[in-house]
Amino acid sequence: MISVLRELWLFFLRDLYIAKSYRSPVVMEIVQALFGTAMFYYVARFVDSPELRQALPQSGGYFAFALVGFVFLDYLNAALDTFDRSLEEARDTGTLEHLLVTQTSLPAMLAGSALYPFAATTLRIAVYLAWGALLFGFPLRTANWLAVLLVLLVSLLAFSGLGILSAGYLLLFKRGNPAKWLLLGISSVAGGMLFPTSILPDWLQLFARLNPITYALDALRASLLGSVHLRDVLHHVSILLLFAAVLLPLGMLAFAAALRRTKSTGTLAHR
Amino acid sequence: MPLSRSGHGTSSGHPLTFLEPQISQVVSLFRTRYNFAVPDSAVSIESLVKFFPPARGGWRGFLQPFERPSIPALEDLSFSVREGEAVALLGANGAGKSTLLRILATLLLPTSGRARIAGHDAVESPREARQNLGYHAGSDLGFYARLTGRENLLFFGRLNRLSVATARDRIAQFSARFELSEALDRQVRTLSSGTIQRLSLSRALLHAPRVLLLDEPTRSLDAIAARSFRHFLKSELQRGTTSLLFASHSLPEIELLADRIAVLSEGRLLALDTPSSLKQKTSSTSLEEAFVRLTGHRHEGLAPEAHQ
Repeated sequence: MISVLRELWLFFLRDLYIAKSYRSPVVMEIVQALFGTAMFYYVARFVDSPELRQALPQSGGYFAFALVGFVFLDYLNAALDTFDRSLEEARDTGTLEHLLVTQTSLPAMLAGSALYPFAATTLRIAVYLAWGALLFGFPLRTANWLAVLLVLLVSLLAFSGLGILSAGYLLLFKRGNPAKWLLLGISSVAGGMLFPTSILPDWLQLFARLNPITYALDALRASLLGSVHLRDVLHHVSILLLFAAVLLPLGMLAFAAALRRTKSTGTLAHR
Repeated sequence: MPLSRSGHGTSSGHPLTFLEPQISQVVSLFRTRYNFAVPDSAVSIESLVKFFPPARGGWRGFLQPFERPSIPALEDLSFSVREGEAVALLGANGAGKSTLLRILATLLLPTSGRARIAGHDAVESPREARQNLGYHAGSDLGFYARLTGRENLLFFGRLNRLSVATARDRIAQFSARFELSEALDRQVRTLSSGTIQRLSLSRALLHAPRVLLLDEPTRSLDAIAARSFRHFLKSELQRGTTSLLFASHSLPEIELLADRIAVLSEGRLLALDTPSSLKQKTSSTSLEEAFVRLTGHRHEGLAPEAHQ
């Protein structure tokens, strides 16, 4: 266990040092987050109405609703994209084969490569929320931070399974990220990111109920905006854990099978 | 199984060397059937076969991962590398040298047969095999360009289970031995090919592996850097703790480093002997001539310096 944690830490440090070697990305990201938050604020001012507020499940108006949906999209993107991107980078820089001849395990390699991007995404989300609270009245006081962290963690676990599955696809077929395409495509309509799923037709609402993103977003909005107790989100958290329990082992198995196949066909380092 | 363990670094051939593949197969049979304890060679290759699926273009390329392997790369290859010995793989492009090294490095799965590193099967116990090997692919890729040489070495050393203190000690040793002191604290993207090659060799040796696998280690180096690199390697081999299996097109390199040469052609082992024995048996005055006689034709796969 200690050696696995040590390996994860090594990958985190590697990515931290690489990020540090580039100048000023942090400043740029903070400014970019300000523009993003401002855009949502003015869109919300434009569309906000008493009817719309009534249709929303929590307080804070459309601005808070849309901003949470947007920052969650960032998280989802990280979970679905990180494994692909680190695999692609390792393949292109030639480090993939050198990593695979070390004594580190495949799960440690995958999880380790995801740590820094997840941490960076968490910080970015914090910056978005901070701008929202500082300048545009995002209601941070209602948040239950323990519940927020729990929901984000189980969401990451659930969607990382799909991200790893997608990395297996990339390893085998060299291009594409079908999990991202499918999940982001479905979620943009039936995930409740920018509008509540209650306005969807019945058949699409059924789709939304089968979508883990709906549960993750509902729980995150409740934790941030709904003044809820931790036990109020446990139902959604347990559904997300169920998704994670299925998707993570499935993703790992598929990735290991893809790796085995590419080692058999000799296409491991092919682009 | 080694015929003799006293021949480290010798250039004279053992009279029974030509029987080694057959002996290796018999040992393998005993080992698997009767759980027979046999001292392990550094590298042991038994009846190794590798087929690749045919390369496809266009939409059929999408199905390539599921194509039936039908292109032969290695055919019934058997030989071993003794402890502390350096064996060169000599053959034209496509002879199977890189395929063999990649199977041993656990980066490629064989179609059948066995490949062992320090007694550990590369397919069944890849992690144990990796504990005992260092791999250097002869290109200047494979490092994180934005990290310094030291950060790269430390990262890979730690992934190979070295403590921070041991990794730092070893890096200091290699820094002195491979003249890397300046390079260690510069980002890899600013280093020359020759320096990156030395860094790569340091990485391969950092965890003190029993076996070093090198695939055309001087391929991307100029003549002076290549010469310097060979001498670094020679000095490392003279320490006698590491066995070396390397592929090269450079005959001077092979003559300098190899105790024995495995001549490959189209995935088959044509000969395995010391450089002097190969020349003697083929009545040749040079290694190039011996190679040409063994393979039956003058080969374009040899590097220009081999013809000098």
